[in-house]
Order: sequence, then structure tokens, then C-alpha cells
Amino acid sequence: MNWEYMLVQVVNGAVIGVIYALIAVGVTLVFSILKIVNFAHGDLYMLGGYCAYYVIEYAGFPPLLAMLVSMAALFVGAIVLERLLLTPLYSDRTERKDEYGLIVTFGLAFFLRNTAIIAFGPFPLKPPSFIPGVQRVGNLIVTNDRLVAGGIGIVLILALVYFMYRTIWGQALDAVSQSRDSAAIVGINARRFNSFAFGIGAALAAAAGALIAPIFSLAPGMGVLPNIHAYVIVILGGMGSVTGSIIAGLLLGEAENLFTAFFPDPTRAFAYTNAFGVLVLMVVLMFRPQGLFGRAHLRME
Amino acid sequence: MRRLHVYLLFAAVVLALVYADRLNAYWMHVAIIAMYYGILASSWSLLAGYVGLFSLGHTAFASIGGYTSALLVKWLGISIPLGMAAGIVVCCALGAGIGWVCLRMSGPYLAIFTLGFSEIVRITLSTEDDVTAGMAGLRTETLFHSATRLPYFYVAFALLAVSLLLMGLLVRSRWGLFLRAIREDERAAGASGVAVARFRILAFAIASGFAGLAGGFYAHYIGIMTPSVGDLDEMAKLVVMTVIGGMERLPTAVGGAFVVEAVLELLREYGQWRLPIFGIVLLLTMRFARNGLLTPVWLGFVRLGEPRVERRGTVRDLPQKDSAA
Repeated sequence: MNWEYMLVQVVNGAVIGVIYALIAVGVTLVFSILKIVNFAHGDLYMLGGYCAYYVIEYAGFPPLLAMLVSMAALFVGAIVLERLLLTPLYSDRTERKDEYGLIVTFGLAFFLRNTAIIAFGPFPLKPPSFIPGVQRVGNLIVTNDRLVAGGIGIVLILALVYFMYRTIWGQALDAVSQSRDSAAIVGINARRFNSFAFGIGAALAAAAGALIAPIFSLAPGMGVLPNIHAYVIVILGGMGSVTGSIIAGLLLGEAENLFTAFFPDPTRAFAYTNAFGVLVLMVVLMFRPQGLFGRAHLRME
Repeated sequence: MRRLHVYLLFAAVVLALVYADRLNAYWMHVAIIAMYYGILASSWSLLAGYVGLFSLGHTAFASIGGYTSALLVKWLGISIPLGMAAGIVVCCALGAGIGWVCLRMSGPYLAIFTLGFSEIVRITLSTEDDVTAGMAGLRTETLFHSATRLPYFYVAFALLAVSLLLMGLLVRSRWGLFLRAIREDERAAGASGVAVARFRILAFAIASGFAGLAGGFYAHYIGIMTPSVGDLDEMAKLVVMTVIGGMERLPTAVGGAFVVEAVLELLREYGQWRLPIFGIVLLLTMRFARNGLLTPVWLGFVRLGEPRVERRGTVRDLPQKDSAA
């Protein structure tokens, strides 16, 4: 085991971690505002990737612009879905909202995944690179796509953090997440922010999908594992904590890549990497359900 | 005729058993698979519909039951029923374990936890291929060596009937009331003297045991076990079946499994479009008819023999939660 190999793994881990964090902050945002766990989040990520691919392919947009288009499209699409399916969550007449949110988002995931198989075909697709080529530092090789994905991912996350903590809209979101009624008293339209949070979450997932597409490739089932990873991160970082998700995302990306690198049986390392993340999830859920950075008012009753 | 629906059901069962050999091989297979899903759907409805424990690991238990039985039969040479029994025992024990571990979790946390569990099971089964033959599939002993599927039909029928009978007795007993009390409000149930922890573990153990039974039968019917028996797509299919039928009653859950499986086969010419269509039906069901599409049908059926009394302005037409089964 040499140091350069490990350094490559650390860089790769950081890039994957940023992408994970981008998906996970969406889950956490939706959870803190709508109080549901979105089981279709991974499929929004998949749709984002495909959307960017088709914009590049048929409209001839450069990849970066395609990513923005895809984010906008998913933002609007997610708001439509939220209006159509999730409004019963805000009504007092709906019993057992947890169950409703669960089954509806789970059903939505089923629908989106199977529709994607028909619409996009079961075979993997690969969009062009953001910037072709690789960077070398000594014997270390990292593809430009990974650097671009990591860089844009960090920019988006910083933008979200700025938005959440420094703008009036972000603070309104925070207010709704803390208390819907008090937010309504000071004049915040909570319903509008439900849609908004769902849309933002989807847009971030779309960005993640567009960024990851040139590195791995696009497939209808690509959302399943990132979805589970997003839960690992969200549980680890604490439901509802954006900062927690970012830190936990990076932690998980690193932990997984190092796990793969150091697993004693290399033929099985890759398969068990995913199981490792899930195991972390289960252990955290058992012993510290509020996560590492959980916020008291967001604990699920 | 107070119990008209019971007699009608009994007559339908007898007719089905007598005329089963008229079915051609293809529809016989469909019927057997539908009964496999029927056991899974009813036991999942026991867990998710009655107790409110929305587990996404139910098909994982089916695959554990199937693999346990198949491997024990292969290694130790024990008889197949014994292997299936072992599968049930293993699933009960594991289910109780999972139930115990997630006692403090509710709603989405429980769903995520069990989703994680099922992923670990699937990954382990497909990776340890020197034991389980991985994605290539593990060849299993079949239950019968007959040319027709008729014996399997009777076995599946018997298993489904016994499962439904046992679960029906459970949900109509005092314990069943406790389970529903836990679903409505865990704290209130606890305050009224229901041993919440014990019954949550019990529900998990029982439902997982039935899943193991279904899985064991599946393994020795199909003759091959793959990790995809317990994957997320199968779980999604199970959720679709149970919710469309009506997850809060055992008969409607089984009906959902039968109807969805039959319609999936009837629409075979539409190929892949069938699954998204069922996705939409599921979403519409949740949005507009949360009790399930078969629940009104079943309630009407149950009321068939009752004298028609005109009670205007009463709650007769509201779905009655407590007149279950």
C-alpha cells in the first residue's frame, strides 16, 4: 500500500463525498420542511442526469449550461409533483401522514424508475465530459471530470449554505422548519415554502446527476444506491441539519473509498462498499437516532 | 343468512379446488405465483397495515427463508418440509431481532432501517457466490417431480389458506386489538396497558415467519433462488399489490396480490408499460382512495347476507375499520 494510491483514493472519496452531500442536503431540506422522507429523491437525481444528457445531445448545449437547464427543469417538475401528490400532507384531515408520505414517495420512485426504463432504455448512456483529459501530479492521476464535479458541487453547496443562512428566503425556510404556525403568524406562507423546498431539493439532486454522469454513466437504476447513501448521510449528519449532511457526506465518501482500498479481499471489496455504508446507517439509527449534528426540534416523533 | 359471505367464499374455494385441473399450465403458474404473493401481501399488511410498522425488508425475509431452506436441504439432505420449517424459524428469529433493534424507531426511520437491512441481505447473497451461487442462481430441490403443476397449486393453496386462517385468528383476537392500538397511538396504547415492545417484536417475528414460509415454498417451486427475490423491485411490487388492494385488511391485501398479478399477466403484450401504469394506480389510490380499491368491494361482500335496514343519517357508509376480516 503506497501513499500515492491512498492519495488518489482520498481525492476520489472527496469528490464522491461532495456529490453525496449534494443529494443528501435535498433529502434533509425536504424532511425539515415537509416532515417526510422522500423515497423518490434518488430517482429525481437520475432524471436530472438524463435531462442534462438529452439537452446536450439534442439542443447542443455545453455540459455546464445543460446542468443548469436540468436543474431548472427538475425544480419546476418537482413543484408540479409536490402540488399533485403531497398536498394531503398539509391537511388536518389526513390520518397518519408518515405513512402517506412514505407510500406516495415510494410509489413515485417505482413509477419514475420504471418509466425511465421505457423512456431512456435500459442501457447505460454516457454524456460528453465537462473538460476532457486528466491532471497529473507526480504519479497521481485524476480525471478533469472528477475535479469539475467536485468543484461545482462545492460551489453549489456553498451557495445553498449562503442562501440558507444569509438570505431572507433561507431564514423563512428555517422558520417554517422550526414551527409552521409561528411562521404563519409572522406572515410566511408555509405552503409556498413546501413547494419551494421540494423544488430546491430536486434541483440539487439534478445537479448531482448531471455532474456524476460523465464519471460513471446514466442508467435508470442509478438512483437506488445514492438514495440509500443519502439516507446514510442524513441519518449520520442528523435529520434536518444541512451542515451535518455536508460533513457526513464527505465522511462517508472518504470512508467508503478507503474501505474499498483496504478491504482484505479485493474481489469483494467493491460489492461490500455499499453494504458498509448501509451498516453505518443501521448502527447510527440504533445508537444515535438523532445523528451527529441532529437538531432537537427536528426529531421525528 | 347472516354469514352468507362465508358460505359463498367456501363455495368458491371448493369450486376452485375441484376445477383447478382445468387451468392450463401457464395460468396455473400464474395462480401459484399469485398465491405466493398473497402470503407475502397478507403478512406485510399484518405488519404495515395493522401495526403500522412500514417495513421495507419483507421480501428480504422471503429470500432468507428460501435460501435457508434450499441450502439446508442441499447440505444436510433433510426433507424439504423440514427445510421450509427451518426457514420459518430462522426468519422468525431474525424478524424478532429486527423488531427488537428498531423498537424505538417509527415511520420513515423504520422504513430506512429495514431498507438498509434488505440491501445488506441482497448484497451479501449476491457477493458470497461460493455459498449462494450469487446472481447466477442457486439450484434447489423441487417439491414434487410431477409433470403437472397441480400438486404445487394445492400446496400453495393450503399454505395460503392456513396463513390467512392463522393471521385472521390473530387479528380478530384480543392481541389483534392491541396491534391496531399500537398503530393508532403507541403511547396511548402503552398507557392503556398494552405491552407495546412485546407486541411490536411479536408482530415482526410473525410476519417475517410467514414471509419465510412464502420464500421457502417459492424456492422449492421454481427450482432456482436468486438474490433478486428479495430486492427493492420485488418489495415495490409487494407495496403496490397491498396498497392497491387495501393494506388494512388481510382479504383485501390478498385480493390486491391476485388482481395485480392477474392484470400484469393479462397486459403482458404491453410489456414494460405495465409497471409504470401500476405506479400511477398506486399513486391515485393513495391520493383518492387510501383504504384501497378492493376495500369497498370486500365490505359490500361481507354485508351481502345482512338484512337491509334503511338507517338514514347513520355512519353505515363510512369505512368501518373495526369490522375487519
